Amino acid sequence: MTNLRTALPGAAALALIALPAFAEGTLTVAQRQDPQNWDPVDTFLLAWGGIASNVYDGLVRRDENLELQPGLAESWEVLDDGMRYRFTLRQGVTFHNGEPFDAEAVKYTFDRLLGEQGASGPQQSNYTTIDSVEIVDETTVDLIMAQPDPVILTKLSGYGAMIVPPDYIEEMGEDHFDMNPVGTGPFQFVSYDQGSRLTLEAFPDYFDGAPELDGLVFRFIREDSTRLAELQSGSVDVLNNLAYSAIPTVEGDSSLEIVSVPGPTIYSLALKTAEPAATADVRVRKALNMAVDKQALIDAFLGGRGTPISQLQGEMSFGHAPDLEGYPYDPEQARALLDEAGVEQGAEMTIDYRAGNSTFNEVMQAMTGFFQQIGVNASLNPVEDGVFLNEIVPQGRTNEMFQFSWGGWTFDFDNTAYLSYHDGEKWNPYGTSEEMNRLLDEQREVSDPEEREAILQDVARLAHEEVYHIPLYVEDQIFAISDRVEGFVPAPDVRLRLNTVSVTE
Amino acid sequence: MPILGYIARRGLQAIFVVVAVTLFISFAIRLTGDPAVMMLRESANVTPEDLERIREGLGLNRPFLVQYWDFISGLFTGDLGRSFFRGPIAPLISDALAATLLLALTSLAVSLIISIPLGIYAARHRGSFADQIIRILSLAGLSFPNFWLGIMLILVFSVTLQWLPASDFRGPASLIMPALTIGVILTATNLRIVRTTMLDTLNAQFIMVARAKGLSERSVIYKHALRNSSIALVTYLGLQFGSLMGGLVVVELVFNWPGMGTLAVDAIAQRDYPILQAVISIMAVMIVLVNLAVDLVYVALDPRIRLE
Repeated sequence: MTNLRTALPGAAALALIALPAFAEGTLTVAQRQDPQNWDPVDTFLLAWGGIASNVYDGLVRRDENLELQPGLAESWEVLDDGMRYRFTLRQGVTFHNGEPFDAEAVKYTFDRLLGEQGASGPQQSNYTTIDSVEIVDETTVDLIMAQPDPVILTKLSGYGAMIVPPDYIEEMGEDHFDMNPVGTGPFQFVSYDQGSRLTLEAFPDYFDGAPELDGLVFRFIREDSTRLAELQSGSVDVLNNLAYSAIPTVEGDSSLEIVSVPGPTIYSLALKTAEPAATADVRVRKALNMAVDKQALIDAFLGGRGTPISQLQGEMSFGHAPDLEGYPYDPEQARALLDEAGVEQGAEMTIDYRAGNSTFNEVMQAMTGFFQQIGVNASLNPVEDGVFLNEIVPQGRTNEMFQFSWGGWTFDFDNTAYLSYHDGEKWNPYGTSEEMNRLLDEQREVSDPEEREAILQDVARLAHEEVYHIPLYVEDQIFAISDRVEGFVPAPDVRLRLNTVSVTE
Repeated sequence: MPILGYIARRGLQAIFVVVAVTLFISFAIRLTGDPAVMMLRESANVTPEDLERIREGLGLNRPFLVQYWDFISGLFTGDLGRSFFRGPIAPLISDALAATLLLALTSLAVSLIISIPLGIYAARHRGSFADQIIRILSLAGLSFPNFWLGIMLILVFSVTLQWLPASDFRGPASLIMPALTIGVILTATNLRIVRTTMLDTLNAQFIMVARAKGLSERSVIYKHALRNSSIALVTYLGLQFGSLMGGLVVVELVFNWPGMGTLAVDAIAQRDYPILQAVISIMAVMIVLVNLAVDLVYVALDPRIRLE
């Protein structure tokens, strides 16, 4: 917020009309959430990745088709049965401050992530399968694994594994680095006004070629309608997280365009499988699944921008079982199942869900209508986020149905499946089956991707048979962009890399 | 100097208020959720050890009173501590407080500039057509939700006319719409207060005396009547200022105004205890200070009032 301090004296010379003039070649992106800090070990927000992918690089990079590409490592090989990964590093790369990128920087990054500095941050837990990093020579490093981790290469492309500059951090201190990031990415840091905006400029020496843009600004605007107003008034070029209710407005504006891509986040209702809940009976759980017309929900509340799911993952996820059909929408059959299970007409059930998401709130209200049709009186229990995540779910204090929405940026089914089906996990307070636990453990030991994919597909099928959830839909990532933007490609993992985007005047 | 003694006593009261309020808030927010869980809410495979490690790192597994003592002793030595997620708190607070003060004072000024002359006019022409209009407008101002007015202003002046920036602080022009939004709401009440107290005062005998002395009407109204009817207004302004300090949260969010309300809302969402404690303390101090200022203004306005 330094601009407030500097602007105050200028208040005397009251310029009534002060719309910002666009710097040539500057792109402005608006989004809801401010990531609040820039140190890769400290972040816990998907919103961080969208921005920081322009400042930092990992050893590997993932493109918009979710394929792994060389990043700061030119190539890699898997050794010792997946217990050692050898990376050949790109040469001649420098950080934004001129510091050279080398094997030391890689070792420093992981020592820091896995050591004391990482310990009080949320990222360390994602990388504990790594034991240590060994420098082989100046351009070769080995990642020594503590245990096999089939997702590790993907995880190296983002968040905690972003490579950081050792000398800069040691010289300037951790606090300074946290607010003044330096990486090797296509854009370098200029300024950060907390809660308000981050300003970046092109890094001309970027190893993959200088970006098209001169500058890149991220603005954090909490209120949906205000964010849209800034786009309409031309102060913003790209709007991240467009509200569904705003789709018609944007479609009606010839200078704006909507671009969307299926996102990582799936929405579902988890079912309480423990007695005395009626949903302890698998027939009841099936019936509830058959009561819901998912496509109708998507059309009515998501502006058609979503995809119905039969499992807790979208089509792009590793482990997706394409042949798995969801339970059909069939209220009559559902009622028959309820009768069979001895559930009376007008039985009461309750849905716990996270308050604050107005779209999901509407969806839940429609759900009560669907359940009404099969003779279940569902009532809604919206709960504040912190209470829901702390008190309700992990303690097993939910009602018959409770919200489960999850979106791992890795797009690997292990991420979602393990924590929702493995016993002892936060999102699985009521336990699943022995077979399920066995499959989940097994896929973590397997290094062959095909074999592992097959097991994950079995997990999806088993979950479908045992009916732990009502899978609903995967939401699209929706962007609204102005017609001066060219070359914008949305990424499903919300990590926008904007070095190939340009703007016209 | 009785006034210094008075201020000192009020200062002690302020300390008591800050301790009581922050003790309650610090305790209460810890009941509502664990920042470690909030931090790991988007992470898979979170083990109890991970949570424990983060609690340890954040200093959350120390006894509550130890944590509180850390905070409150820091506060009284001028150290606001560190946020869980955002680094040192002092710069965050000073920026947010500057933004909120700027908005609050401008809004109050806007409101006074409108409500004093209009209120006096309405009182002097009680029952006239103009008085009716002013009362209806003030009722309308009280009735609409302030965020709605904010959004309407944005639609007109940012989207359609493109005259003013819709959000953030980007120079004086950014101040116009938020200050107007809050100012209009404040005006609605202030106008009523000015009108009512002015009506009482204008019927008082000393006004008759002042007129009988041959003073100009202007002098009668602005020097004698206004001063005597300001006590109620000043009291009310003090209260208004208190609530403005808490940030008119909704208005701040609509305009993405980087003030105390926005800071507090973000901190609550993340369970960032240190920021929240600091924000609450600063607000408590501000409110105590404003009340003190109001009391001192009473004395200046009415020499019959004595501080005790």
